Amino acid sequence: MTDSPDVAEKQTKRRSDRKGPVSRRQVLVGAGIAAGGLGAARLLGLHDLGHLGLPGQSAAPSNATTQDWIAPLDRPEARVAQLLRRATFGYTRAEYERAVSDGFEKTVDRLVETAPADPEPFPGGDTATRGKPLRVGELQAWWVSRMIDSPSPFAERMTLFWHGHFTSDFRKVSPQTPYLYWQNLTWRRLALSDLRTMLYQVTIDPGMLRYLDLATSTGRNPNENYARELMELFTMGVGHYGEDDVRAAAKALAGWREPVTQAMYDDLVAEAQQRGRAVPKNLKPDDVKTGVFEPARAYAGAVTFLGVNRRWDTQAVLDRILEQDAVAPFIVTKILREFVTDAPADAYVKRLADGFRKSRYDVKALMREVFRSPEFVSAPAYRALVKSPTELMVSTAKAVENPQLVRTIVQSGGSMGQTLFDPPEVGGWPSNASWVSSSVVLARINFTVNALATMPKLPAFKDAHNVFLDGVVSPKTAELLQQTGDEPSRWLIVLASPEFQLK
Amino acid sequence: MDEKGIARYSRRDFMKAGFVFGVGAPALAAGYAAVPDVFARAVFDAKQAGVVNDRVLVMIQLGGGNDGLQTVIPLGSGRFRDLRPTLGAVADKALPLTKDLGLNANLGGIKKLYDAGKVAIVQGVGYPQPSFSHFDSIRVWETADPARRQQDGWLGKTIAANYDSAGHPLVGCACGSTSVPGALRDLQATLTVIQDQNTFKFQGGDNVEKVMGALYTGTPGIYGALFDTAMTTVRDTVAQLRTSAAQYTPKAAYSDKQQLVYSSKNQLAAALSLASELIVTGTGVKILHVTLGGFDTHYTELNRHDDLMAYFDSAVSAFYADLAAYGMADRVLIATWSEFGRRPNENASAGTDHGTAAPVFLIGDPVKGGLYGQAPDLNALDALGNVGYGVDFRAVYSEILTSHLGVNGRDVLGQSFDRVPFVKDPARSVASNGALVHANGARLAST
Repeated sequence: MTDSPDVAEKQTKRRSDRKGPVSRRQVLVGAGIAAGGLGAARLLGLHDLGHLGLPGQSAAPSNATTQDWIAPLDRPEARVAQLLRRATFGYTRAEYERAVSDGFEKTVDRLVETAPADPEPFPGGDTATRGKPLRVGELQAWWVSRMIDSPSPFAERMTLFWHGHFTSDFRKVSPQTPYLYWQNLTWRRLALSDLRTMLYQVTIDPGMLRYLDLATSTGRNPNENYARELMELFTMGVGHYGEDDVRAAAKALAGWREPVTQAMYDDLVAEAQQRGRAVPKNLKPDDVKTGVFEPARAYAGAVTFLGVNRRWDTQAVLDRILEQDAVAPFIVTKILREFVTDAPADAYVKRLADGFRKSRYDVKALMREVFRSPEFVSAPAYRALVKSPTELMVSTAKAVENPQLVRTIVQSGGSMGQTLFDPPEVGGWPSNASWVSSSVVLARINFTVNALATMPKLPAFKDAHNVFLDGVVSPKTAELLQQTGDEPSRWLIVLASPEFQLK
Repeated sequence: MDEKGIARYSRRDFMKAGFVFGVGAPALAAGYAAVPDVFARAVFDAKQAGVVNDRVLVMIQLGGGNDGLQTVIPLGSGRFRDLRPTLGAVADKALPLTKDLGLNANLGGIKKLYDAGKVAIVQGVGYPQPSFSHFDSIRVWETADPARRQQDGWLGKTIAANYDSAGHPLVGCACGSTSVPGALRDLQATLTVIQDQNTFKFQGGDNVEKVMGALYTGTPGIYGALFDTAMTTVRDTVAQLRTSAAQYTPKAAYSDKQQLVYSSKNQLAAALSLASELIVTGTGVKILHVTLGGFDTHYTELNRHDDLMAYFDSAVSAFYADLAAYGMADRVLIATWSEFGRRPNENASAGTDHGTAAPVFLIGDPVKGGLYGQAPDLNALDALGNVGYGVDFRAVYSEILTSHLGVNGRDVLGQSFDRVPFVKDPARSVASNGALVHANGARLAST
């Protein structure tokens, strides 16, 4: 459940209704705005689509909203800005100017070809134990800081994508191990690799072993949790495997356990001594940051999985999954819904999926194709996505060039429905229309008000509405900007606007 | 800068600088009332004759798949202990309902209500060809459609078809969550989501509120109407909560157990206290939805599930006591739902995997208490080792809609179901204007 099928699909319907002859009558909303210092504004106005009629809206009042944004994507700077909004966590004015000067193609190359930069180690991350657990708030702040100023911003954005896709939460994984910290490092390291490599590391990731219970599953009495979600949420989606396949995979994947770090080992030994108990004979520290395979707990026999009867190991199970036609379209659809449009056309999905599979599931190659596809900069893709709370908050910090907002960002995520390392469910976070509820819209505005209020001095506003909103604003946004010359107020209007919620 | 520093600074800074909107603000304030509710107004203007009664529904989602066998325990089944060598210990302390069935020992408050005839337990509730996917099965329950074709939520549909929610955003409300639950979703229904009542107000006060009201007006694009409607709803709700909060003091002790493993993100008690506030202060609320998560008990389930039961019991008991103290308990039906039950056979992790049918609880004064449906037969598991279902979950919905809320359940569900007659005092008839009137007509005569 990573989406909101009903709302999203109705909206899709609205969009598809737009096909056919569209009136080019423009409502020029920019006229007369010069007085407010917006002389350079390129307010492009709006198509009036009211005459097309919408389902169930025959009796709509005349002032109901039936207009769409006029996409400015014929302008190079608007294309580049959209790329930065989607492939990264937003931009400062300087980053915008650099990318505009480089142009779209070169910026795609730079983003995609920049290998994930290793973050500064998280203090105490490798040595977390029951006595010295990971401080989750600090870990969140550590990551948000990376999002704001990483030298590999695209890899950082993909790390969040994978955190939502191959998700785990600190409540079940527990901060008393380094596992979640490690998982973040692993997802970043592999963010632009290939799906086959990723799936293996995901399967034996210590945090994942605990989160979806593979670590306690045995061949004799398997736990189905990981096997099911591997196929349903990670690779294929429902309908492409049967219950028998879930059971077979659960058997075939069993045998992994969590690794014991030196710090965890020392902690257990100290506790045993304190209580006058013997240290368990088999207990020893492991020198790996992955799961450890114990053949004695695995299933030795053959099972039939996705139509093939044989003895399996973990890699063979994953390879059998990767042979299925459902995998590439499933992953591509999810990518497109976060990076291009909420309702990608079948042919678009198929084209990219075919390439993805041919490339042996190369993620970097896929993302390059996504950004270079005509659909990415086509008019229907303009403002077709809603920023997640993290994207909204980090892009705000970047717009006002204030890395000090990390604390406010960490504290505000929960009220908007996105707390890092704490997804609401095994399916990760919802997307797009699901981010628009009364509670969340209020929380987004309150974040923006608080963020601006913590800043003694804001950057000069200049033409922020052009840099951050492409100069395409609603009549109301234009009117409000015109009504005030006060800089903090104008920043508030831009950053709290519906336009800035979209990417 | 530490946390406190930021908070202190922000307030001071606001006082000093504030946001200056000059001539615009007063004009905007005056203009707000004329701004229509984007989607809904026109649709609902035609719906003057809505359903009129004072009944309220509170749905409690037990997210993750509640283990029915650890909740309503088959004491009389020797097979139960065989299937659950570890988890079977739950039977030792169970609170007997009959010689064969007992409630989880931590459901003492629910047991008291049961003994008072205020709890109906419908056993073996499910649907044909069940899905074992959380997301798929949640969608089935939310849309009331085992064929997985419907998009709108059954409660959203109910609101859209029966109540004027435009300008009355509290007709349907999700308490304690950030997004609209699927069951309430319908583009033609205006809904409120209140994650936390204490923070449901505009930072920066009236001035910011007015400007935001204007900023989110006539927003173009595919999300424009959603954003604008959300803003209208926020403003209506902020105003309503201001009045309600002043009129409400809980008359029972609600407590959220923050330490509860894996579910501390659930503040069920706080959500139900808010639900109570909305009900007793006459906000017009009809349908409320709250969620308690953490039921996906694949591992070390025994204590984990017992804790969840205790938490559920304490929150629901306080909610009922609060409503009763306000004299409103006769209006409110509390119903539980969960995407599926769990596999009878426990797994290697001393937990259970995804299963099928499970019991549903109906709680409150409108309920005719007792046991409905059939207890699952652990000696007749299907090929996958799951129990069969005896009652279609839509039959439970149908009774809730038709007999409790007094709306046309057939319209919402697309078909009729035999009654599962757990509602004591069913709605009676359809009035000439299309509105249903329930049997407790005396109270309605004056409206």
